[in-house]
Amino acid sequence: MAEAKKDILVVSSSPHLRREENIPKIMHNVIVALVPAMAASLYFFGLRAILLILTSVLSCLATEYVFQKARGKEITLADGSAIITGILLALTLPPSFPLWATAIGGISAMALGKHIFGGLGYNIFNPALVGRAFLQAAFPVTITTWTPPLTMASVDTVTTATPLALMKFEGKITPYLDLFFGNISGSLGETSALAILIGGLYLRYKGIINWRQPLSYLLSILLFGGLFWLISPSRYPDPLFHILAGGAMLGAFFMVTDYVTTPVTPLGQWIFGIGGGFLVIIIRLFGGLPEGVMYSILLMNAITPLLNRYTRPKVFGELE
Amino acid sequence: MAAKELPLSKDFFKGFWKENPVTVQLLGLCPTLAVTNTAINGFAMGMATTFVVVSASTLVSIIKRLVPRQVRIATYIVIIASFVTMADLFLAAQFPAISKALGPYVPLIVVNCLILGRSEAYASKHPVHRAFLDALGMGLGFTWVLVLLGIIREVLGFGSIFSLKMFGDWFTPWIVMILPPGAFFTLGIIVGVINYITGKEGSETTCH
Amino acid sequence: MNNKILKMVIVLTVTGIFSGGILATVYRVAEPRIEENRLKELKEAIFIVLPDTVDYKEIERNGTVLYMGLDKEGNTTGYAFVSEGPGFQGKIRMMVGLNKDLKHLTGMKVLEQVETPGLGNRIAEEDFQNQFKGLQFEPEIEYVKNKKPEKPNEIQAITGATISSRAVARAITKDVKRVVKILKEEGSGS
Repeated sequence: MAEAKKDILVVSSSPHLRREENIPKIMHNVIVALVPAMAASLYFFGLRAILLILTSVLSCLATEYVFQKARGKEITLADGSAIITGILLALTLPPSFPLWATAIGGISAMALGKHIFGGLGYNIFNPALVGRAFLQAAFPVTITTWTPPLTMASVDTVTTATPLALMKFEGKITPYLDLFFGNISGSLGETSALAILIGGLYLRYKGIINWRQPLSYLLSILLFGGLFWLISPSRYPDPLFHILAGGAMLGAFFMVTDYVTTPVTPLGQWIFGIGGGFLVIIIRLFGGLPEGVMYSILLMNAITPLLNRYTRPKVFGELE
Repeated sequence: MAAKELPLSKDFFKGFWKENPVTVQLLGLCPTLAVTNTAINGFAMGMATTFVVVSASTLVSIIKRLVPRQVRIATYIVIIASFVTMADLFLAAQFPAISKALGPYVPLIVVNCLILGRSEAYASKHPVHRAFLDALGMGLGFTWVLVLLGIIREVLGFGSIFSLKMFGDWFTPWIVMILPPGAFFTLGIIVGVINYITGKEGSETTCH
Repeated sequence: MNNKILKMVIVLTVTGIFSGGILATVYRVAEPRIEENRLKELKEAIFIVLPDTVDYKEIERNGTVLYMGLDKEGNTTGYAFVSEGPGFQGKIRMMVGLNKDLKHLTGMKVLEQVETPGLGNRIAEEDFQNQFKGLQFEPEIEYVKNKKPEKPNEIQAITGATISSRAVARAITKDVKRVVKILKEEGSGS
């Protein structure tokens, strides 16, 4: 009796997972949600995009297999988490990125980002972003060399700047429609805001993610971006640009919503989203890099355990 | 301690693997991480440290009976600092390029706990020939790890070994390897691999 | 008791005296060599930034040290000076050559830098330094990215290391103007 009562009356913060074996189910939904973004990258960058995604996914799977085998653990390739890491990593890379370097990114994502901490559920940082950060540190020039999409009619240029770099270094603003549909140069998956939005809405519809995390992140970008825009509209871009350009959308729907590396309490999730959005704006406007989504999420990942600890709801009736 | 019964060779060789200052004792990590971006820098730092640890340990062992307990650490530090300054001046005079590359890390050998550690824990309690062999083994053990770190980081970060180009133009250097994070990654992997190997051997733990 | 303290004092004193004495000796031997190395480096740098120079004369004008380059016949080949500025991570020190008409630069060599390896530290590579040969500095040294420089006062920044490239351009612009002013004043004064 006492045991049954305990089961019913457990008070915990979200997510309230009631199903058994839910990891594969969730993960497969996330993969489905990533299909529009992958399709968009195929449309804009051609077969090269698929090659990059395949390389990244395969290297992640191989690394996971090797680590789990070496540590004598159950092989969990089928749960899809390694596939998602691979896809997300590929989506943050420029289309012309070499395949061998992509494989290194996949290996470091899984090894340094996940298995060093003990595997799925134990990692502090988003593995895909760890891989991306490693590549950024290892090949800073290659990873910021962008090729224009196939749909952009410019024959004479081999490399182009991303909208964020154009804004930061040359003060040029890219039209919203191009940003929204993805007719811009940039990473595979961060070009088309529309495709990511479709995937994000699907995840919300399926109940995989809550609305709090992406919304707080995007709202915070709007808010702080808008603040600087109001201070000096000629020097800083408007807030809508901040949301549509770069990896803000991809980050908001697929990285800020990661189960493992973000807070579980509602208050913690708000703080995470707002802090992350603030960091994006600070890095974009005042940092050395044009894009700040990656570091904003990694930095917020680092304080997630702290947020979880201090935003835990008080147990009802507990004495000080 | 039953050190007297140990063969002399053990005094010498324990620093190479079993009690390696870097991979097992994790001592002297500041120079290990800071100057090993190329093999030659790692080698120079290893040699300078070996010189200091051997000289200091030998001298400490010679005068161990003359030094009162209360001032022993102060005395050791003065001795170590003197040898470090000598090494620093020597490098600056004979190998200005290396001296420049190592920068402040040569004077910082003074605070390498490996050296004071050997003086205090070993040389001040053992006869001169043993102290000498122990220090030499430790110094060379330190050196090989630094050179290995330097080689790995130089190959990946510059595409060369001892400044000899290894690859053609297709090679893109991994810049992260010559930055501080590269040092941590590489050292972590080396220590991990060595623990993995010794773990398999089923090593007998030595007590100190 | 007193004996013990006395022993401590004696041991420490003797150690200190010995150590000091030995170090003084080593220093006396090493010092000239170190000084020689420093001068050799300076000389090499001057000869690199001032072509056809075989000798130099050090001149000092209100705290600024200039090196006047001399060729085989003893004619002035130009002026070299040390330029300094903040880089991405620390100070960048360079030897800069100026032609004798004070119109353009004749070369640049990085003496000291702690820029990011593989990126910013490529300012010390030949390709980058050679861009300063014949470079004009009026109204100021500018940099372009990802394309060949077109104007005579432009250099091409290193890909991925704009900040270091800009730091070099700014430091040299600032210092060369000061040096030109000093030399012009002297020219009109004499």
